[in-house]
Amino acid sequence: MTTETPVLQAPATASVLKNLDAVRAMIKRHKLNDYIFSVIGLLALVMALLTLLVLFSDLVMDGYARFNLEFLSEFPSRRAAKAGLLSAWVGSALVMLVTFLTAVPMGVAAGLYLEEYAPKNWFSDLIEINVTNLAGVPSIVYGLLALGLFVYILGLGQSILTAGLTLGLLILPIVIVSTRESIRAIPVAIREAAYAVGATKWQVVYDHVLKYSQGGILTGVIIGMARALGETAPIITIGALTFIAFLPPSPVTDVAPFINFEWLSSGFTVLPIQMFNWLSRPDHAFHINAAATGALIIIVTLLMNGTAIYLRYKIRKNIKW
Amino acid sequence: MINPTTPIKAESKDLNFFYSNGMQALKSVSMPLYENKITALIGPSGCGKSTFLRCFNRMHDLYPGNKYQGQIVMHPDNTNILENGVDPIEVRMRISMVFQKPNPFPKSIYENVAYGLRVRGVSNKRMLDDKVEEALKGAALWNEAKDRLQDLAFNLSGGQQQRLCIARALATDPEIMLFDEPTSALDPIATANIEELMSELKQKLTILVVTHNMQQAARVSDYTAYMYLGELMEYDETTTIFTRPSRKETEDYITGKFG
Amino acid sequence: MQSEHIFKQYDAELEAVRAKVLEMGALVELQIVDALESLVSGNTKLAKKVVNRDHEVNALEVQIDEDASHIIARRQPTAGDLRMVLMMIKTITDLERIGDEAAKVARFALKTSETDRLLAPRFVEIKAMAATARDMLHRALDAFARSDATKVIEIAHMDEEVDEQFQVAIRQLITFMLEDPRTISMSLEVLFVAKAIERIGDHAKNISEYVVYMVKGKDVRHISLEDNLLE
Repeated sequence: MTTETPVLQAPATASVLKNLDAVRAMIKRHKLNDYIFSVIGLLALVMALLTLLVLFSDLVMDGYARFNLEFLSEFPSRRAAKAGLLSAWVGSALVMLVTFLTAVPMGVAAGLYLEEYAPKNWFSDLIEINVTNLAGVPSIVYGLLALGLFVYILGLGQSILTAGLTLGLLILPIVIVSTRESIRAIPVAIREAAYAVGATKWQVVYDHVLKYSQGGILTGVIIGMARALGETAPIITIGALTFIAFLPPSPVTDVAPFINFEWLSSGFTVLPIQMFNWLSRPDHAFHINAAATGALIIIVTLLMNGTAIYLRYKIRKNIKW
Repeated sequence: MINPTTPIKAESKDLNFFYSNGMQALKSVSMPLYENKITALIGPSGCGKSTFLRCFNRMHDLYPGNKYQGQIVMHPDNTNILENGVDPIEVRMRISMVFQKPNPFPKSIYENVAYGLRVRGVSNKRMLDDKVEEALKGAALWNEAKDRLQDLAFNLSGGQQQRLCIARALATDPEIMLFDEPTSALDPIATANIEELMSELKQKLTILVVTHNMQQAARVSDYTAYMYLGELMEYDETTTIFTRPSRKETEDYITGKFG
Repeated sequence: MQSEHIFKQYDAELEAVRAKVLEMGALVELQIVDALESLVSGNTKLAKKVVNRDHEVNALEVQIDEDASHIIARRQPTAGDLRMVLMMIKTITDLERIGDEAAKVARFALKTSETDRLLAPRFVEIKAMAATARDMLHRALDAFARSDATKVIEIAHMDEEVDEQFQVAIRQLITFMLEDPRTISMSLEVLFVAKAIERIGDHAKNISEYVVYMVKGKDVRHISLEDNLLE
């Protein structure tokens, strides 16, 4: 077995020293490219942020007048000054709850199954492609699906339950993908170490895989929820009410059995719909309300994303990969 | 010369191994592991030594499509651990492994060592405490760790992490310990500590170690096996292999004429 | 040696040490020849040259020891390389002793030429012994240069020859001493010369045994000739 002996040209330093000026000019050119690119990148970033900032401040300035507690605790009314968001944000909160309960167990379980248990063949590849595609389906299509399936075929009515299920399906691909990604991030060495100590497959999945991917999964869930908060089209399609002056029945009552589920089948509205409703009125006063609602939605979205980032940081503190 | 009366802990008999893509990684490898001795596997990259090592704790079962042919028989019970009816989990409870890069779990030091016991259903705190202490002492880590058992394992240095992995593998009282290039990611002092540890551990159990570093094999092992392209080229006492190997291929590899 | 190391520098170092060993061997051989010549012909200048050259022999021994220990420290030689380095270290010890014995003979030559040369005819046996011993060394060095382990048998036979010749020389010297007691002190000196040459033969035999270990990994020292033949 012959090994190759290295063949060296004259040492590199010689060639640099010989053409020092040319080399310096070349380095200068390359650095100029660096600089130009970083300026372009910065410009693009600034423009994007500036646009968002301008929009947001516009909303805030328009809706400033309505930033007070009554806004949040009043029902909508025909008089703009008295119209409030109570039914809207309660509706949003309840719909988010159902969305969460729909998307998370199904999404995490599906992601877990696809990563850990499904055999790796063309079929599972097909599934993976389709799941990723689902994330790009327009939300109004989900609305149509919900209308046909949940409202009419299953007879669930135009209720919080239907809205929650629809949005849950909408964000399901996001949860599945982020579950799979966080599971994939776990190094093989950790799994092998767990198996090597004599753990069964389920022990490895439960004690290690699920535990270490919590951060990633949580981030995906919160991002999905933030998106669901602002979804309007599917909710309209399934028929959320636009002017309701009542709240869904409380889930907690003072009569046995202290929890009821009537609220699930109640009519409702959500923040984006309320905003849309106010916007479509000719009275300018309502537009102020709409602006305030818009600002509120953005603030809540930012808070949710911020929480996601913070939680992810905290959970991942112990993880070094 | 090998003393014929030394007891054998395990032996491979005509072991062949095929990866899922059809490649044959081991060709008819037959080799004993003497009890309470350290056996080293050396050979150039791709010779099959890690593949051979991982047959012993059925690591290959984790990846579908791999096929074993032949036997690995454990003594004194004469079980062929490669047989279909034998549960790999059971095998891994008798044979544990330490990996190349230290890979502690992202848990506390205590939990890392206790994990092997927990999966076996041990939950009594006192028993766990005792076993964890015993394992950490056995891995020469107790003094450095006893005041920080709840600390994250990742806060330990590289050499300490590897000793923690050894403690984790020790906690379950294995009969055989497999080391896959255990010091290739460590500095010389940490390496020396691990080698010293291995010499002590062999009093309690049997060790099979794969190493790229020939001097390490010479320092640490009692028996050495030289493998090349999936075949066992030569197996003998370490002193014989390093002073007068029988085969030219072994001599060429050991003296650095090839490899 | 056969194939090359991946570290070409290692090959170069081993070669350099081997070359030095052979150089030392050639020098020692020359010492033997010159020492005998100075004894037989009474050439005091040659005898002085031999005595002074012993310093060169010793210097080579020191150098080679140093080089060998460098190789051991840096290269951690194993198997064949290890055996070669170890045996070279032992070989130069024997070579250095041979050199000392040759210097002894040369010193005796210096003394003898000052006194009368009554014993000139007695040197015949010594000359024969010395020729055999020198031939032994030559063959042993040759065996080392060629990594030839087969020479040990013939060299062992030659050593027996030297021993016999030594016994003959002793008998003749005794006879001589009995005939003329005035020659006793001179005869004793001659005896010491003969002994020195006999030792040279032993050292040469040792070197041939080292070659066997180097090539085969088998230690044939302290094994009788018969057992050796059986291998």
